[in-house]
Amino acid sequence: MAHSELYAQIDRYAYINPFAKTSPVTKMLFALSALIISVSSPSPVVPIIVFAAATILLLRLAKIPVHFYLDMLAYPTVMLALSCIIIALFFGTGEPLTQIAFPWFTWTIFKSGIALSVATFLRVEGALSCLFFLVLTTSITDIFITLRRARVPKVLVEMALLIYRYIFVFIEVAEKMNTAQKLRLGHSGWMRRIRSLALLSGNLFIRTLEQGERTLTAMNARGYDGNIRVLEDQPPAKKTALAGIIIFDIVLVLAAYLTLNVGVL
Amino acid sequence: MLFRLENLSHQYSDGTLALDNVSLSFAKGERIAILGTNGSGKTTLLHHLNGILKPTAGKVYFEDKPLEYDSKSLLDLRRRVGFIFQDPNDQLFAPTVKQDVAFGPLNLGQPADQVKKLVDETLGLVGMAEYAEKPPHFLSLGQKKRVALAGVLAMQPEVLIMDEPTSNLDPRAASEILHLLLHLNTKYGLTLILATHDVDMVPLFAKKLFILSKGKLVTEGSPKELFSNADLIRDVNLRSPRITHLFEVLKKENNLPVDNQLPLTISEARKEILRLLNLEDAGKDRGEGESHERD
Repeated sequence: MAHSELYAQIDRYAYINPFAKTSPVTKMLFALSALIISVSSPSPVVPIIVFAAATILLLRLAKIPVHFYLDMLAYPTVMLALSCIIIALFFGTGEPLTQIAFPWFTWTIFKSGIALSVATFLRVEGALSCLFFLVLTTSITDIFITLRRARVPKVLVEMALLIYRYIFVFIEVAEKMNTAQKLRLGHSGWMRRIRSLALLSGNLFIRTLEQGERTLTAMNARGYDGNIRVLEDQPPAKKTALAGIIIFDIVLVLAAYLTLNVGVL
Repeated sequence: MLFRLENLSHQYSDGTLALDNVSLSFAKGERIAILGTNGSGKTTLLHHLNGILKPTAGKVYFEDKPLEYDSKSLLDLRRRVGFIFQDPNDQLFAPTVKQDVAFGPLNLGQPADQVKKLVDETLGLVGMAEYAEKPPHFLSLGQKKRVALAGVLAMQPEVLIMDEPTSNLDPRAASEILHLLLHLNTKYGLTLILATHDVDMVPLFAKKLFILSKGKLVTEGSPKELFSNADLIRDVNLRSPRITHLFEVLKKENNLPVDNQLPLTISEARKEILRLLNLEDAGKDRGEGESHERD
């Protein structure tokens, strides 16, 4: 799947999934609270619960196809796995798991390093599942409006809104330029590919400046006065749903306490 | 006069003189086309009509009052004079169609429930109601142009300015936009001003034509008058509508007794052919299907 298609598909699910009409406050509260508990949990059990909960919600209730979810997870998981291998091999103190003697130094792999590596992996996977739950069930408009209501500084929210919209415009432009370069053999050979990439990036940068200029003009022509106003018609959060999320969070925190001594090794 | 430009000149900061001493005027409810090649100054001229650009010399009058460029006057002007850009991607910035159409009316300070109603109505008018919740990047160019149009119509302007409204559209999408515009003009009395180099479309749309070349106003008049003057049209690097050209050739090369007022559209050509064949009555018998003609 090309990258732009993956992005567009994420967007499509966000608008059509069965949770699309649920209050964004509910969804954001669930995803963000579970995410924070997951990354701050000292026990490896809690991230597993969070991952399972978010995944079941996504696959069963939001009806996201399994293969699509796995596709999405695959990219960050590969990166994460590489980092965790480094952590396992080179981090930690205390009790050694094994030692490899080289003539000039002794390489020690620590038990605590392995534990840290596994814990990191689980925490991040738990957090990823929460983020994916949010982006796959909640349209970006809903997220922006909720952030604004939560008093996140306006300049950040408005910048994010414009960036979001024009990412898609520029992915398209970049793909077209890339194809045009390929057709004129700009990708034959490593040096030429690097040069083509440099030209493309430079060009794209200038395009973004021009686009910004034109968009501002167009916004001015419709009475823009420095404030982006949006139509707010999100459904209100259901009290039962909010209560359910709070109970879930309390269970997570309790689970974290009860499983404090569960070690990886 | 609704709009009057008086000795308008505009020089860009790089030194290009994009408009050179242009004076013209037009009235409420008219359908105006500004015709010219690429780089003739059409867009620059349009940008002066709702205060996007300020003249470097000369004046713009709206309802006989000179334009003022403070933010309050501009907001007032822009509420009444809508502008649709050539590339809808310049205009559609919001994450969904609905939010984009709501942007203008919200800026005018209208209450949310009224804006919602307005958004629904306008999207219905341009035939995009079912796309309200979609992000713009899922739409085709023709659909984006309609949404851009809705975004401006939702501000309920009295004047609509469009830069190349049919460029890059397939024939059907172009024709649909054109008919929508004609409908807005006849039903709501919306004044329409468009810049184009699509000479085949102009006679179907415009009652009055201004021809620009190299920043200067070359001539003005009805499409009939201007397109009859083939030399003038060629001098400014434009061409006549295809059908007009055909009759011009028939007249010149084959000495066919074509009327001096060359036909500009299919329906005019049809009448002329029937006249030449002495079959005028036949045409009347079947009734003139003028309204359904396409370019």
